[in-house]
Order: sequence, then C-alpha cells, then structure tokens
Amino acid sequence: MDNLHIGRHISGQFNEDLERVINNVMHMGGLVEKQLTDALAAVGQSDADLARQVLSNDYQVNAYEVSIDDECTRVIAKRQPAAGDLRLIMAVVKTIADLERIGDDAEKIARVALEIFSSSQKDLLENLDNLGRRVLEFLQASLDAFTRMDYESAIKIHQMDDKINREYEALMRQLMTYMMEDPRSIPQVMTVIWSARALERIGDRCQNICEYIIYFVKGKDVRHTTAEDISKLQTM
Amino acid sequence: MISISPNALATGSDPSFAKKLDLNNLKPEQVALDINNLNLSYGEKQALNDISMSIPKGQVTAFIGPSGCGKSTLLRCINRMNDLVDNCHITGEVNLHGNNIYNKHVDVADLRRKVGMVFQRPNPFPKTIYENVVYGLRIMGENNRRKLDEAVEKSLRSAALWNEVKDRLYESALGLSGGQQQRLVIARAIAIQPEVLLLDEPTSALDPISTLTIEELINDLKKQFTVVIVTHNMQQAARVSDQTAFMYMGSLIEYSDTNTLFTRPSKQKTEDYITGRYG
Repeated sequence: MDNLHIGRHISGQFNEDLERVINNVMHMGGLVEKQLTDALAAVGQSDADLARQVLSNDYQVNAYEVSIDDECTRVIAKRQPAAGDLRLIMAVVKTIADLERIGDDAEKIARVALEIFSSSQKDLLENLDNLGRRVLEFLQASLDAFTRMDYESAIKIHQMDDKINREYEALMRQLMTYMMEDPRSIPQVMTVIWSARALERIGDRCQNICEYIIYFVKGKDVRHTTAEDISKLQTM
Repeated sequence: MISISPNALATGSDPSFAKKLDLNNLKPEQVALDINNLNLSYGEKQALNDISMSIPKGQVTAFIGPSGCGKSTLLRCINRMNDLVDNCHITGEVNLHGNNIYNKHVDVADLRRKVGMVFQRPNPFPKTIYENVVYGLRIMGENNRRKLDEAVEKSLRSAALWNEVKDRLYESALGLSGGQQQRLVIARAIAIQPEVLLLDEPTSALDPISTLTIEELINDLKKQFTVVIVTHNMQQAARVSDQTAFMYMGSLIEYSDTNTLFTRPSKQKTEDYITGRYG
C-alpha cells in the first residue's frame, strides 16, 4: 500500500478514511476470491454443501459493495479529493462494482454443482475446471496488483484475458461437438456452457480492474484501447 | 451532438467538452498578459524566480500555493503595486497587450486604470454607495450626471448588487454587509472598465453564501474582463478558474488548465499540495 502515499496527508482523518476504504476493498477482494475458489471446488468435487455455502455467502459480497460505495460518497462529500486521491476513489468505486459481479458469477458457477451429472458426463466438468483455474489465477493476480497498485504487473496481466478467451472458445467448440454427438446431454452441456460463460466474464472484469489500476497510477484512461497502446505505457 | 475523436480515446487524453487552450502556444490576440523571466527581490530575499507565463484574455486564471510562495507578489507585479515597497527590485517583463508595463514611460496611474484590483478585505470609502462606484470616473474628470448614473447601474448590475442596493444608493457604503461591500468594491473596480481585474483572496473574509455569490460573479465577469485571482482555497480555484498556476517558494511549478491540474497534475509537488500532503 506504500505507493499509494495514503499516510502522507496533513489531515490524519483523511488518511484514515482512505485507509479504511482500501482495507475494505482488500477484504471484499479476498471474499470474492474465496467464493470463486469454493464454487470451482464445489463443481470439481460435486460438493453440493459447499455450493450452497457459496450461494448463501453472496450477500456478504453485496454488503461490502454497498458499504464501500457509501464510504466513497462520504469521502467525496467531506474531503473533496483531488488528483491521485480522486482517481483512487474513482478506481475503487468501479473496482467494487466489478468485484460484486464476479461474486454473482461465482454464484452461477456454484449452481452447476447442484446439477446431477452422469459418470460419462464428468469429463465435461474437467474442462471447466481448467478454465476455472486459469481465471482464478487472473483474479488473484489482479487483486494482488490492486493491493500494491502495481501498474507494471497490471499491464502484464491485462493480456491474460486473451488466453482465457481462446480457451473459452476452444471449450465452446468441444461442448458443441458433445451436443451433436449426444443430444440427450444437451441440458447438462447447457449448464456447463453457462458457467464457462460466467468464467469468461470474470476474465473481462479482472481486465477492467487492471485498467483501473493503470488509470489510478498513470492518470491514463485505457478502456477501449488496444493491447499495443497499453503496453506502450510500460515505457512511459 | 458532442463527438469524441477516436484519437482522444486512444491516447487516453481528456475528452473534456470545454475548449482547451494550449497555454504554450497562444495566438497573440488570445493573450492578455505575457510575463517573461520576471524576477523580484525584497532586498536580499528573492521572492520570485524567473516566472514566465501567458495569461489568456477573457478567462479566469488562478494562482495557488502555500503562504509565502509569491502568488500575491506576482499578482501585485501586474499593476505595479510593488513599486510602493521599499527595497523591491524587479527584472523581466510584464506585457499587457504587448506593451511592457515596467517600461519607464508607462504612466502608473493609467496602468492601474487598465488593471483594477480588489483586496482581501472589502475597503469601501466612507461615502455613499453611489459615490463609491463613481469615484474612479470622477477622478478621470467625468461629471456628466447621466453618464455617471448609467455607469452606477451597469457596474452594480455586473457586480450582482443592483437589486439589493438600488433603493439606497445615497446611503453610506459602510452600512452594507461584508459580502455586499466586497461586491461594491468589485463594482467600483469595474466602473472604469479595466481590461484586467486582479482579485487578491477576494472571499477569504466572507461567509460561504457571499463567497458563492462572488464566485458566480467572477464567472460572469470573465465575459468582459480578464480575471486573475489569488486564492488560498483550492476548491475555489478548481471551481472558478479556467487556468491554474501552482507556485512554490517563488517559482512557478506548474501552469495548466484547471481540469488537468486538479485531476492529473504533472508534477509531484503540485499533487502533494492539492491533495493536502506534506510537500
């Protein structure tokens, strides 16, 4: 948290406000990460109890979003943050919106564990597990970069989403073949497709978080720009 | 419809809809004041270090910085108020519409007619409201009653004070509230139609509502005059100005359009100051 320079305001109260906001985002990130890990484990091990736990814990993620939003509104009203402080608050507000949606996606994935799969359909889930692991890595790396506000790693891991998209497309093709070969499997395959889609969306949201980190540190809004433009920032 | 160029998005630059001036490449007709390599010392103490900047016409430019950074000194250079200070030595140029005001042929009284000033504390003369407004005009030899009446109404309207005082123009100005007195002083300054209006912390002695009235007034005034304001209140600079200059220990650290300076300052010192950190 050092490169945030939070602790250097003349107003100690302002320091505390910002520290509280950042700590809460970290807790929320940790919770979301656990939700996704549990959801993937529940699917991998067909553990319905764990899946239900994920479903019932989602309210905590939502509560974090509401309370951090409230905190940020208060900071804006009372402290009129400028420059880096303002960008930090904007980055936080957007990041928690994405984290909350990652939480919702984890919930969708957990629902797969509540479905009944025949033993011949189990390998469907294996493929999902591979994609899931890669997405989880991406989420962890994004949260790690956010904690340290490390824009260099944000730029680097930003590109992980391309790999995830390619893997998602490959999985889609595979699932399509599955359905054509055995139409009776369509209901189960559809469930897998929905959760693969949820994983792919999580990748996009992690990419957004990387963009907010770059915005905070560099003051450059890199949304809707090409990968080349973003990697150019590394040399600036 | 507002269109954002794809280029603006690609470079992540500010797609702000207000037209932004390039302060380093202003056209001569856009410049009101051009300050070149201005140095000022009070005896041994150097108060301004090599200041160069162009202040655009018809806009509000704010000077911000910690106490003693030289922002008031710089403001006072613009109408040669520092001439009154003993031991004050100035080098460099301040060009008003291309003419250096430190040229020895310049008539200082005439300069101050073109460059009006309003101070921190309202300083109305112990006269009627009417006489306060026409004071400058009378000194310039204007005695035509009709012209004076017109000037009083026009200036008081511009200073957003007319409706409050139109029925008591011949009462003493000292009976007005602080906020009204400050607007009266602004009316007095603009009655002689200056080209530039210098405001030295014009709201620091006022309550929040009067402050907002004056800020609103500053926004209206820039349609007719070039306004330069010194303020301790950073949020005020952010609210009222088009350009902001950040000064620190007698040097101009950063000068750019206000939107950029308050969201993406390019110097660490500026960032530290506007976010309230130890510099």
